[in-house]
Amino acid sequence: MRVNKNWKQIILFLLPALILFGVYFIYPLGFVIVTSFSKWNGISAPVFHGFKNYIELFQDETFRLSMRNNIVWALVLGFVQIPLAAVMAMILARKPKGWKFFRTAYFLPNVISQVALAMMWLAIYNAEFGILNNLLEMMGFEGLTRNWLGNMDTAFPAVLVQQVFYIGYFMVVILASRMGIPDSYYEAAEIDGANVFQQEFYITLPMLKPILITTMTLALAYGMRHFESTYLMTNGGPAHSTSVMGILLYRNLGALNYGESNAIGAILIVFGGATIALIRWLFSRNLDADDGIQ
Amino acid sequence: MHKTRSLNRTSPVDIMARTGKWIYLIFFLILTILPLIWLIISSFKTNYEFETQPFALPVVWQIQNYIKAFQMANLGRLFLNSVIVAICTTAFNTLVASMAAFAISRENFRFKNGLLTIILSGVLIPIIALMVPYFKIVSGLGLYDTLPGLIITYSAINIPISVFLIHGFMSTIPKELEEAAIIDGCSFTQRYTRIVLPLSIPGLVTSGTFVFIYCWNEFTYAMLLTSSEASRTLQLGIRFFRSQFVTDYTSMLAAIVITMVPTIFVYIFMHNRIISGMTSGAVKG
Repeated sequence: MRVNKNWKQIILFLLPALILFGVYFIYPLGFVIVTSFSKWNGISAPVFHGFKNYIELFQDETFRLSMRNNIVWALVLGFVQIPLAAVMAMILARKPKGWKFFRTAYFLPNVISQVALAMMWLAIYNAEFGILNNLLEMMGFEGLTRNWLGNMDTAFPAVLVQQVFYIGYFMVVILASRMGIPDSYYEAAEIDGANVFQQEFYITLPMLKPILITTMTLALAYGMRHFESTYLMTNGGPAHSTSVMGILLYRNLGALNYGESNAIGAILIVFGGATIALIRWLFSRNLDADDGIQ
Repeated sequence: MHKTRSLNRTSPVDIMARTGKWIYLIFFLILTILPLIWLIISSFKTNYEFETQPFALPVVWQIQNYIKAFQMANLGRLFLNSVIVAICTTAFNTLVASMAAFAISRENFRFKNGLLTIILSGVLIPIIALMVPYFKIVSGLGLYDTLPGLIITYSAINIPISVFLIHGFMSTIPKELEEAAIIDGCSFTQRYTRIVLPLSIPGLVTSGTFVFIYCWNEFTYAMLLTSSEASRTLQLGIRFFRSQFVTDYTSMLAAIVITMVPTIFVYIFMHNRIISGMTSGAVKG
């Protein structure tokens, strides 16, 4: 390739973005991984001690529980939220009355901050005046009322439920793909006597396979790094039952255990990358064979 | 065709499909919208009404909850900080990302595709894993607990997504327009400022909307990188001033509603752009 005669301006135009990207993405990645092998309080120089941070983490029961919770998050988002979003996309793609209103409404929580949503759900789950308990009492289920977020058995499901029904983000993405399937496919199937369930199962699902794999990969990756709403609603409690890796990372940072913090960070990065690579690899052959709508 | 349709409409399977469809639609509407409506109505109640009649409308709509929210939590200052951070980040990020997107989409050079792939793969990195280095970088620059510290950090975090959106849009602008301009003696920079940038405004607005909403709602790094009220944003305010509202719950709800208003406002006006931005392949890959 010949050298572009505008090369000076090209570099000048790329430079600001490259500096920001280098300082905030590439350098921190190397930084996290290198210092994860050290004992470091952030003030004196890091002392390298091999895999000690990792060994200690995996021996720590709280960390193992947090990692398990992140895996549950990943599975719930990938295998519950994505199917829920896909069914909604299938329904909305048939343009029922008011479908644009529904689409706008379901996406709305995605523009509201996690802080506001978490505070709202704290008020819903509250033991004394929360509307969930009030609702149960009104319907005559006094026995079911409880301190939802303060109870070991219900806190983790309660935090999961808060997020899992906010399907708007993935629904919008899947819906766009679904709208790309020509109507004529469905008309032909209908003439052949296929009912709506058969049409969705035999036409939509195979055609949407690529986007479902993509969204599922993302949902799994988001679950592995889940942090914010749990931090805001329970901060990992009660008794670590809702804890996730991000919460331990943040706590170690606050306690000036930077080495441990970065070891958790490195685990998050590796797990996220591995999740994405695994799904890609599992489906790569199928993806090549199908001409789905991307 | 007409006959098969009318036949299908009355079959048991079809009745099941239609009933199921509406149950599903309404179930999700209740879960996503009803709590928000309850929150907004509750923010206009007295504390006594809120605790004794959680589902009733307020007897008198308590506008003063909102006034109290502003007075108790110094919400005005936090609101201003959030506005400054969101607007400056959006402007800075859009400028930087559009320059890079312009060079990548309009010129040919070696490593161009590799460069784009590397930048875009930034969206896959779990940003929370980078808390320690971000804290160190911002402190090292002397920007800990300042608004510029947040502005630069947010601008950088959003580079992958905004380069993706703006590059995607710029790639659709026909090259012929620029070729004519080059013949007329337009320089590289003039092609950017006079031709490509004005034509890319829809793409810039989409990207800017995403960045604005991100900045307004961001919590984790605002918590990590600031410590004083002078540089805290609204999201931190409502999180940490909970203790001040311990006896006045409905004023706290009013404070929460205040933080939601700007992004909901943006969403109402921009939802077509937000949805088209996402479906242009915010997750294609």
